[in-house]
Amino acid sequence: MATNPVPDHVPPEMVRNFSLFTSPGMLPTPNGDPHAAVACVHAGPPIFYSPFNTRDGRGTWVITRARDQRRVLQDAETFSSHRSIFASALGENWPMIPLELDPPAHSVFRSLLNPLLSPRRVRVLEAAVRERAIALTERIAASGTSCDVMKDFTFPFTVNIFLRFLGLPDHQLDTFVGWANDLLHGDYVKRPAAARTIVAFIDELASVRRKEPADDFMTFVVQAQVEGRRLTDEEVRGIGVLVFVAGLDTVAAAIGFDLAYLARNPKDQEWLRSEPDRIVPAAEELLRAYPTVQMIRVAKKDIDFEGAPIRKGDYVSCATMIANRDPAEFESPNTIWLARPDNRHAAFGYGPHRCLGSHLARREIVIGLEEWLARIPAFRIKEGTAPITCGGHVFGIENLILDWS
Amino acid sequence: MRIIVHKAKCQGHARCWAHAPDIFMLDDEGYILPGDVEVAEGDELLASRSARSCPERALEIDPTPAARVESGVDQPKVGRV
Repeated sequence: MATNPVPDHVPPEMVRNFSLFTSPGMLPTPNGDPHAAVACVHAGPPIFYSPFNTRDGRGTWVITRARDQRRVLQDAETFSSHRSIFASALGENWPMIPLELDPPAHSVFRSLLNPLLSPRRVRVLEAAVRERAIALTERIAASGTSCDVMKDFTFPFTVNIFLRFLGLPDHQLDTFVGWANDLLHGDYVKRPAAARTIVAFIDELASVRRKEPADDFMTFVVQAQVEGRRLTDEEVRGIGVLVFVAGLDTVAAAIGFDLAYLARNPKDQEWLRSEPDRIVPAAEELLRAYPTVQMIRVAKKDIDFEGAPIRKGDYVSCATMIANRDPAEFESPNTIWLARPDNRHAAFGYGPHRCLGSHLARREIVIGLEEWLARIPAFRIKEGTAPITCGGHVFGIENLILDWS
Repeated sequence: MRIIVHKAKCQGHARCWAHAPDIFMLDDEGYILPGDVEVAEGDELLASRSARSCPERALEIDPTPAARVESGVDQPKVGRV
C-alpha cells in the first residue's frame, strides 16, 4: 500500500517510522505481543507524525502520553470525532451515533442511550451473561482437554450477549462474526461489501421493529424521541451500525488476550483461580495491559500541541494501548501486576466518547474469566501451536489453542 | 475529608461507584451526581482510593476534616453539600 505524502506543515524531524498497522509486531504474528511492541514509542517524544496510521493509509499525529491523550479526547471543541469511518468505506458520509457526533448533538444521543448501558442496567443483564458463560465453559470442560478459545468460547460468548441485547437470534452468530471479520480485517473488496451488508441488515431490522415492536434495543431506538421528534432513518442506522461494529469483537479479543496471558503465566492463573475475588481488579489490569482500540480525532482548527504544528483537518491518534504503557502514568507499565492499585487506564478512552458499552464489557470480561477459571483446570498454550496476534485499528488474537491435559 | 466533584469532567466511567457505591452516587445515566462528597470518618481510605481511580481526574481529594461543613447543620454519615 502506498503511503500518503507527509503534509508540508509537518516538520521532517517530527516524522517517525511507526504505524499501528505496519510496524514490527502489528502484522499477523505467531506468538506476537503487539501491546508490548507499541510501548517502544515511550522512548521517544510525546507527539510525532506517522505517515501511515489508519486502515486506508492516512497519516496521523500520534499522542503517546496518557496525560496528553486525556487533553485531546476531553477537548471535543478542538478535536472532532466525526470522520465517517464506516460510511467512508461505502463512499458515503453519515455518522455512527453517538461516536461520530460532536457536542452538543452528541450529548442528546448519548443521554438517550446511556441508561440502556448504565452500571445499574448492566446488573440486570448480568444473569444472562453468567448463564451463557457457564453453558459454554461446561460444554468445553465436558468435551475434552483442549479448545480453540476464540471459536469455542470468547466469540460465542460475547456475540451471543450482544445479539440478545440487539434482539437478534443466536443462529446467525457465525454470519455476524464473518461480517465483522471482513469489515475489520478484510481487504478493499471485502470491507465495502461487508459494510453494505451490515447497513442493509440494520435498515431491515429497524423496519421490522417499526412494524413489530419487541423488547429489545432496536425497538427502543426506532421508538425513541430526541428533542421532541422521532429519529431519522439515518440516525437509526447510525446507532444500529455503531452498536453492531463496536460490540462484535472488542470484548472477544480482550478475553482472548487475557486468557493467553494467563496460559503463559501459571502463577497468576492459580492466584486468580484460588481466590476469585481477585478477578475484578485483575480484569482492570488486563484491560490496561491489553486494550484493543485506537481512537482517532480530526483537528477542527490549527493548534500547536507540545511543539507539534497540528493543522485543521489533521488526524490525531490516541491509541489506548500506548497511553496504557505510559511510564509517567503507570509504574513499571510493561509489568502486569494483577493487583495494581489506582489503575486509571484508558482502555475505554477518555472524554465524552468514553465507550458506551464499557460497563457491559467489564462485566463480560470478569464473568468470562470467573466461569472459565472455575471449570478449566491449569491451562497452557497447546504444545506445537502458536496464537497469532495482530495490531491495527482493533488489536486481535486468533488461533489461541489452550490445553489442560 | 471531602471529595471535590468536578461534575463537568465526569464521563460515566463509574470507577468511583465500583469501588464505593455507598459513597459515590450515580444518576440514571451512570454519571456522578453533582455536589462535593463529605466522607465519614473511617471511609477515608476507600474514598480516596475511589477518587484516584477516576480516569478523567474528575474527583479531587480535599483532606480538610469533615468539620468544615457549616456548624449547626446535621451532618449525615455520608452526605453531600
